Amino acid sequence: MRIVYSLVALAALSLPVAGPVFAQTITASIPADIRSTNPGVNREDTTDAVVMHVIEGLVGYAEDTTVGPLLAEKYEISGDGLTYTFTLRQGIKFHNGADLTSADVLWSWNRYLDPKTEWRCLSDVDGTNGLKIESVAAPDPQTFVMKLNRPSVLFLDTLARTDCAMAGILHKDSVNADGSWNKPIGTGPFKLDEWKRGQSIRLSAFEDYKSPPGDRRDGYLGSKRPLVKQLNFIIVPDSATAKTGLLGGNIDIAQIQESDVAELQASPNLDVKVLQNAVRHGLIIQTRDPLLKNAKLRQAIAAAIDYKELVATVTSGLGTVNNSPIYPGSRYFSAAEKEGFTYDSQKASGLLKEAGYNGEPITIIANKRTTVPSYPVAVIAQAMLQAAGINAQIEVMEWPAQLDRYNSGKYQIESMSYSARFDPALAFEQIAGSKEKQPRKVWDVPQDQVLIDKLAVIGDPVERQPIIDQLHKRMLEEVPVIFTHNENDCVAFSRKLQGVTPWQSKLRLWEISVQN
Amino acid sequence: MLRFALTRILMSIPTLLIVALSVFFLIRLIPGDPASLMLGDLADPASLADLKHRLGLDQSIVVQCAIWFGNLLHGDLGQSITTQEPVLPLILSRFWVSAQLVLVAVFIACLIAVPAGVVAAWRQNSTVDVVLVGTATLLLSIPTFWLGLLFLLFFGLKLQWLPIVGYVSLRDSFNEGIIYLFMPVLTLFLHEMGVILRMARASTLEVLRLDYITHARAKGLSEGQVLRRHAFKNAFGPTWTLIGVVLGNLLGGVAVVETVFTIPGLGRLLVDSLFSRDYPVIQGCLLFVAFTYVMVNLLVDLCYPIFDPRVTAE
Repeated sequence: MRIVYSLVALAALSLPVAGPVFAQTITASIPADIRSTNPGVNREDTTDAVVMHVIEGLVGYAEDTTVGPLLAEKYEISGDGLTYTFTLRQGIKFHNGADLTSADVLWSWNRYLDPKTEWRCLSDVDGTNGLKIESVAAPDPQTFVMKLNRPSVLFLDTLARTDCAMAGILHKDSVNADGSWNKPIGTGPFKLDEWKRGQSIRLSAFEDYKSPPGDRRDGYLGSKRPLVKQLNFIIVPDSATAKTGLLGGNIDIAQIQESDVAELQASPNLDVKVLQNAVRHGLIIQTRDPLLKNAKLRQAIAAAIDYKELVATVTSGLGTVNNSPIYPGSRYFSAAEKEGFTYDSQKASGLLKEAGYNGEPITIIANKRTTVPSYPVAVIAQAMLQAAGINAQIEVMEWPAQLDRYNSGKYQIESMSYSARFDPALAFEQIAGSKEKQPRKVWDVPQDQVLIDKLAVIGDPVERQPIIDQLHKRMLEEVPVIFTHNENDCVAFSRKLQGVTPWQSKLRLWEISVQN
Repeated sequence: MLRFALTRILMSIPTLLIVALSVFFLIRLIPGDPASLMLGDLADPASLADLKHRLGLDQSIVVQCAIWFGNLLHGDLGQSITTQEPVLPLILSRFWVSAQLVLVAVFIACLIAVPAGVVAAWRQNSTVDVVLVGTATLLLSIPTFWLGLLFLLFFGLKLQWLPIVGYVSLRDSFNEGIIYLFMPVLTLFLHEMGVILRMARASTLEVLRLDYITHARAKGLSEGQVLRRHAFKNAFGPTWTLIGVVLGNLLGGVAVVETVFTIPGLGRLLVDSLFSRDYPVIQGCLLFVAFTYVMVNLLVDLCYPIFDPRVTAE
């Protein structure tokens, strides 16, 4: 009886906590704690997603993955492609009430370019990888100028990259007197209130926020109004707990696994939206392996996989096949990129004979992280390869161990996922390059590398398209990698939330309101 | 007593030293390093070399070990590679979270399981015994993550009595803290109750078969007196030792329960640091766990004379 009384008492005590969602708060679940609040320095994807609510850069990505002005009203590129002049939008304030001027942009950029800051993307703009920002200047309060050592069509992409934290512009009070990091004082729609390490991050609406122009949300551009008073990011490492939290109303919005979509869609209180993003899954093949250096064998492997079946199985029917490194939402995803590998078991048998394959074991390395389909892809591919007469084996590793093998090139096949790259030059660069210099590269054919290098300096989309198409065709012939499909953003959310749209694995909680 | 305690503490130093050295070298034998993980699929050689240099991972293992031990002697466990927080305060803050969960669960488990075990032994082969032993075995057999999820579904989803996610420290708000701790404590308590009950029953059964119990009964003492005065005190020793072992194990972190209930405890910190190869945190956590284990068992040993006057701490 006492137990019953205790439970009743507990139930009474719990009412304020387990009751309905507060109208002006959105509770979002994130799978891991953020690493820091220091933009682009100590980060990973979850950190980026949270920090992007607080800070903004000069430019950002639009929904179609093109780059557009964000804090800048406009930018101009000189005829020689070496000078970028940014004109700032008027009336923008920092979270501490100070007005944004080009002096703040200059301070932020000097900080990013200082090696002591340890900005992740410094090597892309300090000459290490070729491109160098020669100078930055603020000739007047609304103008900011950057000069480069050489023209680059990828420069604005680098500024917009989320792993570079969009090179977010910060107020100088973001750092302590000794230069150490304190907290981000940015211009974003939300400001940082509290970070309870290992537990939660609380942001509050920035009342003086001035949204970029536009009547709707557009990637990191367009309308970005904060429509709720507070955002609460709760760290929920277990996906089953997050699912229960969504069903129970304790969590308003969360990214979920594909296998949970149907169940959560059936819930009367929840809605689920699914959208393909630019992360790519597939199998990478070591072209220097004594066995797999034979292109015929690699082609046989490609022909032995029933892609529709594989993708349907690992994505619970939600995915579509894409053998190209180009993201289907990209303007460069043309008819040529839609052409992929063809499943043909007879062709596979013929190629195996031509390759002189005698049943030697081929090992696929995979990991069991729940956030990527590495293991399921490996299991299904193994079954299909075995059916075609290829002696495929699976070796399961912990992710850090697999990454170590990837970086050293010591593998035959790895079931792997590549993070999003929007520009085709970057998407190809991710996999292609000299194995001598970088053993992690999977596609090392000098003549193809010439095309990729060319892609990095041509800006005209019309000129770029045939190069991209040619590269795609070459990749299908060489088979250094078999991309199977793109990742699906599966976002489950309370039906009380209005305006949710998934985009590139990033939770964007501006322009979302709560209906009471 | 003091001498005994000091001797035991001194004896623990070589143990901790061996633990520290083993952890330091073993973790570096596992493939994968924090710099590669932080850069992911963007790890070009220049960036990787630069990051390794900044993290001090480009130095030889012996030098890294010497630096770590030098800092350790000054009470400095280093700085987390991933969060850049000082390791010792990080561990202590997470330990407090795990400790409040574990101590409450084990305390309640002892309060219920020890008398239940004695009763089961006293009524051996009766219905009471079968029910108690069957329940204990069942609880012991259920994995904690599954039990935890069942509670989440029942108390959180079905009844909507308790919050499914989140955590509030007892220091911040006692009432709210209890609400958030209820399900994890219940999960741990039920699991550990099974362990303790079985041990209490087995040791009591052993004692109940001894001659002095027969003698006590022959003197005309009531069954209650026999159990309380003669059986329990002698039978409690092994159970008390087991409680010490259980506490030592659990205080090292209950990663599964902490993960299911989103509790930021020491276990989750250790698991997260293992996945991110955060060497200083892994080393610090394991050293701290070993230290806690040694201290808890020392305390258990020092408490023995309270329960059994035949045992002295000399």
